[in-house]
Amino acid sequence: MSEVALLQIIGLCVVGVGILILLFIKSMFVRVVGFVVIVLGSFSLIALGVPQMASLPPAIETFDIASVKTPDDLASIGQKIFFSKGQCALCHSIGPSESARCPDLAGIGAKLAPEFLYESLTSPQSYIYLDFRHEGVPKEYPARMPYINKNPIALSKQEIYSVIAFLQKMSGEPISIKVEDILEPESEETEVASVSVHGHE
Amino acid sequence: MTYQISKNPMTTIPAGRLLCLPSLLKWGAFLALFLFPAFALAQDGATAAQAVGYRDIPGLGSRNIIWVIAQQHLLLAGFVLGVPLFAWVCEIVGWRTKEARYDKLAKEFTKLLTSAYATTALFGGILLFLLIAFYPKLMAYLTDVFFPSFLVYSMLFLLETATLYLYWYGWDAMQGNKKGFHIFLGLMLNVFAFFIMVIPNAWATFQASPVVIAEGTALERAWAATWNPTWWPVNIHRFIANIVLGGFICGAYAGVRYLLAVSREEREHYDWMGYVGNFIGVFGMLPLPFAGYWLMREIYQYNQQMGITLMGGFLAWLFILQAMLIGVLFLGANYYFWLGISHRIPGSEQSYKKPILAMLVVLMVCLGVWMTPHSLVASLEEARKMGGTHHPLLGVFGVMSAKMTVSNLMILVTFMSFIMYWRAGKQETAGWAKVAKAIMGAMLVIAGVAVIVLGVWGYFVPAIVRINYFSVAQVLIVLFIMVTFTPLTGLLMKSAKTTTEMVWGQMPIRAGYSLVLNAVMVILLMSLMGYARSSSRVHWHIYGVMRDTSEYAYSPALGYAAAFMSLNTFVFCLLVAFIFWVASMGDKGKGQPKPEAEAKVPVGDMTPAMAGGSPSSSYSQKG
Repeated sequence: MSEVALLQIIGLCVVGVGILILLFIKSMFVRVVGFVVIVLGSFSLIALGVPQMASLPPAIETFDIASVKTPDDLASIGQKIFFSKGQCALCHSIGPSESARCPDLAGIGAKLAPEFLYESLTSPQSYIYLDFRHEGVPKEYPARMPYINKNPIALSKQEIYSVIAFLQKMSGEPISIKVEDILEPESEETEVASVSVHGHE
Repeated sequence: MTYQISKNPMTTIPAGRLLCLPSLLKWGAFLALFLFPAFALAQDGATAAQAVGYRDIPGLGSRNIIWVIAQQHLLLAGFVLGVPLFAWVCEIVGWRTKEARYDKLAKEFTKLLTSAYATTALFGGILLFLLIAFYPKLMAYLTDVFFPSFLVYSMLFLLETATLYLYWYGWDAMQGNKKGFHIFLGLMLNVFAFFIMVIPNAWATFQASPVVIAEGTALERAWAATWNPTWWPVNIHRFIANIVLGGFICGAYAGVRYLLAVSREEREHYDWMGYVGNFIGVFGMLPLPFAGYWLMREIYQYNQQMGITLMGGFLAWLFILQAMLIGVLFLGANYYFWLGISHRIPGSEQSYKKPILAMLVVLMVCLGVWMTPHSLVASLEEARKMGGTHHPLLGVFGVMSAKMTVSNLMILVTFMSFIMYWRAGKQETAGWAKVAKAIMGAMLVIAGVAVIVLGVWGYFVPAIVRINYFSVAQVLIVLFIMVTFTPLTGLLMKSAKTTTEMVWGQMPIRAGYSLVLNAVMVILLMSLMGYARSSSRVHWHIYGVMRDTSEYAYSPALGYAAAFMSLNTFVFCLLVAFIFWVASMGDKGKGQPKPEAEAKVPVGDMTPAMAGGSPSSSYSQKG
């Protein structure tokens, strides 16, 4: 017998108890309890009657920076960090978005040099562009850029490079970050989880 | 051109293996022992406290325990924060009109509030201990972000408690010329209660819609996290929902007391109290779907994936259950109004039979549309026969445009039920009454047609146009009817003469049951939507920031969750019944109503108050 069927039997028993109370018990308070039991049992039975689906978490992905062989591998890691540990997608969109609380990053890898991107991530208040595109009146955004290399996000240097590689690739630029740049033993293994964020078509 | 990472974080699977029935069964034993298994806590390996990510109670499951305790705390808190508002309003009405019955009712509401307050705090304390014990890493993170707000919250709690003591214990002492100060205390009680609600909302909404926190002082960081995108939508939604919960629970309390009443005086009083409770519940329920719509819109804007998980993912069927519960609630609330017309206003049953029947038909049709699923789980053969997963006819009703339309129509019908009850047994005397009624009738028809036209039109425009303009216009039309009809009817009733006296205490037994049903529906609804909000975070403690790496990172299937919600609702009902029983022991100590007093009670009342009149003033003055 499946667990759903067992729960349904329990639900039926609960409803049955409620009906018996209403049929044979005279105490008004107990009758009200019986009525409530019938309602709750019926609700459970109906809920057990609809398709039973649960959501499982995706597997936790781990990657070894040392396994990076090509700039594309690096961009791939950067993409995962962008949407997970880096929390970039909490505020930034890639493409127009009404809900974005910070500038749209589409094409940023082609507009800005990797050194400037690195500085923007690790020292965001040093040199402020209100809007990196410089088109029209600069737009005010509600969120303030955090220091990505400090807590709570605290990306390592390699991880920041990976993100920059991703931004360059996503902008159609050749990836200028070299694999050798990130093969320093700062962080051997980093945990990321895949998550999809922002999906305006 | 937009970029979207392709991997879907949510995998939906048949849930047989996740139903964890043994865990559910063990809850009976757990509730009997009630939280003394600290000795059984199983640490996850590490000895240093800061290294522990999770703790668990094997067999019961830490998440299940948190689920029950948090649900009890939230429901009690909803009641405790909702009741002061209408208790205070009742007190003001009594103060301004000099009618002691309102003051008595306000005091009775506050008695229930005072009784429930300590239990709410108790469950809050238990919840906090358990959260710290079971989720140390998460709590450390939240404490780091929100520490300043913890201090403010504690301070507000002290102020709320002190104000409540003064408000309750000073009730009799602060009559006469001190009443103004007592009213002021009631105001402060509500102000503190509101902020006590919004601060924890910041913690919970930050988990669902976090923002990146920049460097800064502790206060700046807490403030940045507090102002997350769903904070205010949740604040407004919960504020209204608390009023609805409080109203319907007070209604259920009155319903049960009415069923248990032994004297005519009691029956009259609790019949009236039940009416007021139902009125408050309905009053809050009418704008609640609009607040819910706003919240859902903000969730979509914040993160479309989260919105899809809620409305189109594995939680899609949850909204069919929600529609069913809301539908039953609307039917229950309307049924109670209709019973009131039939039994409290002798002779009106026949004259209102047709409109009531028409309203019932409209409500049932609307409910049917609202409950139509967007897509059906069908076998390949069935899908082929249908020409897809959408039924050729019913599929049209499964989309948001249809659901928004019927929900607006149900609100409109319920509002008209209330207006009908208000006007029943009275004859307008104002010279402009005929014109006003004609205008109101025309407005109602135009509004109904406009809502339907916009709903149908919504099929032929892009979703963004429907969401941003059509749905908003539908809501505004219904709101416009409500804000124009209410004062207009009030003016009409001011000069109206009563043709049939209202008789209290004559409602049939099923009226008491319908009040209980309404309360159960609201509690289930709050439990259901709590599960929805929590599940929408999928496998994240803090969405996109801190992943849930415990063995409970999955969201259970709807059937198992519903069984848990039913259990929670039952426990909550028993808890509230116990609290109210304890509270009423004091009344019994003061003695039962005297037989001679009962004999003096005249049947009926001519008060055409919006709150439905009340037992006669001679009775109520005794309060």
